Amino acid sequence: MTGVVIGGWEYVIAAYAVTAIAFVIYGVTLVTRLREGRSRALTQGETE
Amino acid sequence: MKETNLSAAPGKGNLASKAGAILLGVGAYFGIIGALHFYVPAVQPWMHLNLGGGGQALVGATCALAGTLLLLLADDLRSRPGAATALLAVGAVALIIGSAIGLFAAPAEQFMGETQRIMYVHVPTAWSALLAITFGFGCAIAFLFNGDFRYDSRLEASIEVGVLFAFLLCVQGAIWAKPTWGVWWDWDPRLTTTAVLLFAFLGILALRNFVDDPVKRGIWSSVATIIAFVDVPIIYFSVRWWNSLHQVQSTPDTVASPFHLPLRISAFGILFLMIGFIMLRARIADQRLQQELTAPPEMMGEEAGELA
Repeated sequence: MTGVVIGGWEYVIAAYAVTAIAFVIYGVTLVTRLREGRSRALTQGETE
Repeated sequence: MKETNLSAAPGKGNLASKAGAILLGVGAYFGIIGALHFYVPAVQPWMHLNLGGGGQALVGATCALAGTLLLLLADDLRSRPGAATALLAVGAVALIIGSAIGLFAAPAEQFMGETQRIMYVHVPTAWSALLAITFGFGCAIAFLFNGDFRYDSRLEASIEVGVLFAFLLCVQGAIWAKPTWGVWWDWDPRLTTTAVLLFAFLGILALRNFVDDPVKRGIWSSVATIIAFVDVPIIYFSVRWWNSLHQVQSTPDTVASPFHLPLRISAFGILFLMIGFIMLRARIADQRLQQELTAPPEMMGEEAGELA
């Protein structure tokens, strides 16, 4: 035991991948929800 | 409750958004320029006003925080989704550059080896998570004091983004913990208080989904946010108050200079992403509130009938 971590690239890649995937998915859900809200507002406006 | 108009008045808040953008730019400049010298020897001390490492970090962080606050409060940006999209694009580019330097140019740490590279996303995620939750806390107080639903939208947005970042923080931390501590998770004070924060604010988001009345929803979630926010200073000081596996906070003096640049570029990237996400999410909350606060057409018809 040297007290030094050997290797570990797989953990680094996992951390960055999780972060990137989470940001992309959240960004996509935001755009989708914004569009849904906009079309709902348009429908409501037409009804009125 | 105060009469609320959710649509931004034209021109209102222009000064705040411009000042916010300038401050954020100044913060990024001072945050990054001083850290460049390790990689770009041509950087001269006058370029960062001869400020030392601590001074650059202080000026950079102060300007960035003030700029963030102004941008999140600027009313004119609420009607301009292009501003949020631009921030997201700049944030993504900065995060990619910071990550590339952190992964391929920065040296490995002496003891943690390659796994220390997780720091370049983990630490900025932690900063942004606590910042988003703190902004939500401020919005909760503002909503309770003046009943302005624009703060309620910002509260909902900042809590959701804060929860996303806190979740990511726990996952990144677990991935870093396995090779360094030997376990994915430990009921250590820092980790436990962060998990408490995540579940407390998840509960507040659930509460907001279950309550249909916007006034009750705003008041209840604001009160809950203020109570749950008590956990934030506990998280920050947990590593000093108790024996913790998690290390204590670093300062520019305790972090080797090659690590500064990727850390700071990634930090600004994730900060920009956080601001962009909150802006877009607040628009979604605005849309919902606008529909709820507008009288339904059926009701208007009935009322019209009664009047006739």
